[in-house]
Amino acid sequence: MNESVILMFPIVLPVLFGGAILCVPRIRSRSALLCAAGAGLILTALSVLAVLLGNADTYTLFYLTKSLPVYFRLDGIGRLFAAVMALVWLLGGVYSFSYMKHEKEEKRYFGFYLIVYGIILALAFSGNIITFYLFYELMTLFSVPLVLHKGTREAVMAGLKYLLYSLCGAYLVLFGIYFLFRFSNTLSFTWGGVLNQELIGGREPFLLFTAFLMILGFGVKAGMFPLHSWLATAHPEAPGPASAVLSGIIVKCGVLGVIRTVYYLFGAEFLRGSWVQTVWIALTLFTVFMGSMLAYREKLLKKRLAYSTVSQISYILFGLSVLDGTAMTGALLHVICHAFVKCALFLCAGAIICKTGRTRVDELKGIGKEMPVMMWCFTLCSLALIGIPPTGGFVSKWYLAVGALKSAVPVFSWLGPVVLLVSALLTAGYLLPIVSDAFFPGAEYESGSFEKKEADPYMLLPIVILTALAVAMGVLSAQIVPFLQTAAG
Amino acid sequence: MDFVCNIPFISILLSLFSGTICSVLPGRAAKWVNTAVIVSVGIMSAILLVYVNGTQESFVYMMGHFPAPWGNEIRAGVLEAGMALFFCMIMLLCMWGGRKKLDEEVEESKHNLYYILVNLILSSLLALIYTNDLFTAYVFVEINTIAACGLIMIRQIGRTLEAAVRYMIMSLVGSGLLLIGICMLYDLTGHLLMSNIQEAVAQILEEGTYTVPLVITMALMVTGLAIKSALFPFHAWLPDAYGYSTISSAAILSSLVSKGYIFLLIKIIYRVFGFSVFHDSHIINVLFVFGLAAMIFGSLSAIKESDIRRMIAFSSVAQIGYIYMGIGLGTKVGMIASIYHIIGHAAGKALLFIAVIGLTDASGFSRSFFDLDGAAYRNKIAGIGFTVGALSMVGVPMFAGFVSKLLFAQAAVNNVGKLMPTMIVLAVSTILNAIYFMKTVIRIYTPAENTEFAVIPLKREKLYGVAVVLFVILNITLGMLSQPVVDMIRSGLEMFA
Repeated sequence: MNESVILMFPIVLPVLFGGAILCVPRIRSRSALLCAAGAGLILTALSVLAVLLGNADTYTLFYLTKSLPVYFRLDGIGRLFAAVMALVWLLGGVYSFSYMKHEKEEKRYFGFYLIVYGIILALAFSGNIITFYLFYELMTLFSVPLVLHKGTREAVMAGLKYLLYSLCGAYLVLFGIYFLFRFSNTLSFTWGGVLNQELIGGREPFLLFTAFLMILGFGVKAGMFPLHSWLATAHPEAPGPASAVLSGIIVKCGVLGVIRTVYYLFGAEFLRGSWVQTVWIALTLFTVFMGSMLAYREKLLKKRLAYSTVSQISYILFGLSVLDGTAMTGALLHVICHAFVKCALFLCAGAIICKTGRTRVDELKGIGKEMPVMMWCFTLCSLALIGIPPTGGFVSKWYLAVGALKSAVPVFSWLGPVVLLVSALLTAGYLLPIVSDAFFPGAEYESGSFEKKEADPYMLLPIVILTALAVAMGVLSAQIVPFLQTAAG
Repeated sequence: MDFVCNIPFISILLSLFSGTICSVLPGRAAKWVNTAVIVSVGIMSAILLVYVNGTQESFVYMMGHFPAPWGNEIRAGVLEAGMALFFCMIMLLCMWGGRKKLDEEVEESKHNLYYILVNLILSSLLALIYTNDLFTAYVFVEINTIAACGLIMIRQIGRTLEAAVRYMIMSLVGSGLLLIGICMLYDLTGHLLMSNIQEAVAQILEEGTYTVPLVITMALMVTGLAIKSALFPFHAWLPDAYGYSTISSAAILSSLVSKGYIFLLIKIIYRVFGFSVFHDSHIINVLFVFGLAAMIFGSLSAIKESDIRRMIAFSSVAQIGYIYMGIGLGTKVGMIASIYHIIGHAAGKALLFIAVIGLTDASGFSRSFFDLDGAAYRNKIAGIGFTVGALSMVGVPMFAGFVSKLLFAQAAVNNVGKLMPTMIVLAVSTILNAIYFMKTVIRIYTPAENTEFAVIPLKREKLYGVAVVLFVILNITLGMLSQPVVDMIRSGLEMFA
């Protein structure tokens, strides 16, 4: 028993709590349920903190077959993702305490919420692709109940769509893993790749194809074109906090998968200058633009935010695809920033639905008078997403653009930043009108006719914290960037 | 020779004679005899497995002390003992899971008849596993067929009679082809014992005479067994036979009976013709292609099906396709994957059949997919069982199905010519599997709007619950701790050669 066993706590604890909530019939009253869920969330977050502060290294759980261990290892990327996941998931949970009062089947919701908490942390700590794949599939399966929570026909179909898209993606990945297994000595994540040159012997084109399939496969979760459409269906159907963490965290697991595949399995050098890189960049830029356009046209608030996620996640993927250290730093910054911002925005949308029942953008006139604090947070988050200094979004997009220009990929090194800029304008175009309408509803609305409907503290607190973090990230970027640069090699 | 070496013989004989004894016992007593026989054969097989694993070599058991080429022989190695143990476990759980349903669906006076048939099936399966003699194999193939027909039509509802007749006809065509094959082989080689035939076959090939008849023989035997194990396109009998018989029968037929024939085929490939001879003939490619076709068309039929039990039956067609595809890859790894899939699929499919009956019972005995809304809440344990079985079939990590897919893929990677078709079909078929299984899982967990159906509490169905839980444990164990099983299969195949 070594001290690295501490890595298991953040994984096992929430799964145990979640399982207990689902299975123990004794938890009947709402307060008992909330106590259990709260204890689970807080203990998990604390154990993640302990892991991050401690010096855990590797922990092997068991061997699937002789050459395929299921094991966990802590590295820079893992630390970063675990920290973001733990924080956002905890806040989403706190928000759910109040939000889920209005939904049925709270027990099922909290049970699965906690189980998925453990699984995503396991993803962050995974030490090889087999472990990662295992928990990736489990994440899909256990997050489906969160998507179809409402149980209406639309919700069930959305859940099914989510499931099928994710499984398709996962099998593209699995397909890749089979081949990778043949051409490498190990499947452990190693910076710079694990390919064995002797085994490859002239099969580079084939391996490039494999790499492309894996990127595409993980890209499904990350909402990359052409397999992005589940996102816009699934996110609006899920309950508020669930869509927030889906958009803020679950899609990031796809990003994590891409990082692991590109930088830790194939190695950046292997892909640099190949057709895979070109196609990948083209896909990400197209997705960035397309997502923004779709969001701009969309009238349903949650769907608009979902399309915005499609676009923003591809910012991150673009940063990864140019294979440059600076751009990767930008991508990692954007991972953090987008997690905070998008989660906060979805929580705001949830609060609006919960308090007023409005879902369409044009119904939101004057909402700033009714829910001022929340709407202020919405405004700040919008600014952060657009990338206005000094918020976090500015710093991350700065690094993305500088990295792209530095990377010397033909055409895309200048086209990329241009697309990012256009998309930022579109982002402003689809978020700021909501804000201006919310605070300045126009002449036909009497200023006295709005009653205060501010969300209750359990809902407001997570939104405020996330907004503060998103803004503070820009101010404190000098402290964060060095850490990310080491993680980004 | 150690006393342990008598176990194969004793277990065949025990199950055969207990069948006879059951005929004069009342239903209740026959039930206990049946359970006792399955358990004791299972325990004996476990002892045998430990013994053979210790000596690391197979042994031949002469029946009646007549030496080869005249005598009748039984042969046991690691793989045989392991299969016998596994088949006993599955059979016991199938019986437990379907016990209550059996009491409801089958007339009281026929209960002992049912247990006779099950005992006969067990004995014939054991004989197919252990035999070293083609003629014995044929005899028990016939016993198996007739007993299986009985299992199908013991529940007397119009459709089952039709299904049984269909099964009978197709199965007899299969055994007819097998018999012609055996006759021709006897003609060519002058032997019926597997080891002697193999020597003679090697001699024939060396001399270069009779190569065409040999290939035809091989083709006849393979086709015969393929029909009997429902390889696409010979699967027409399967959906009705599995879909309408009482649930224990369906589970046993799908998970054990068809697998017994496949095991016999593998044995014939290795022990009668020799793996390299089989590999060099083109029959292997035919099997491969039909395996691939089965994987796709079985799943497509399952997607179209709205009767939940027939859906699972069609899924069997696809899964049998996986097994033949593995055999068709023509590598040792492929064969290991196939045998692992025999085990994994048996565990998963039996669980699905057992779980489904709980779900349909909780939905007013309706088998329609559209009546299953919320069935998993009304019968919780069945819901969990179905979910686990479905996940295993789809090939989600941690369950048996994932390991066999991993093994198939590893096998395919080593065979450059068949690599791309295998990979593509594997991926497509997995997605198709996911479509119909996940659709069902979500439906059974969707709360029903108007629940006129009563909840079935676990307390009323203790034995059923135990069976499902044990099946779930079996599936997860196979998925998480696959290495010992794979090692067992590997060393067993080495003993075959």
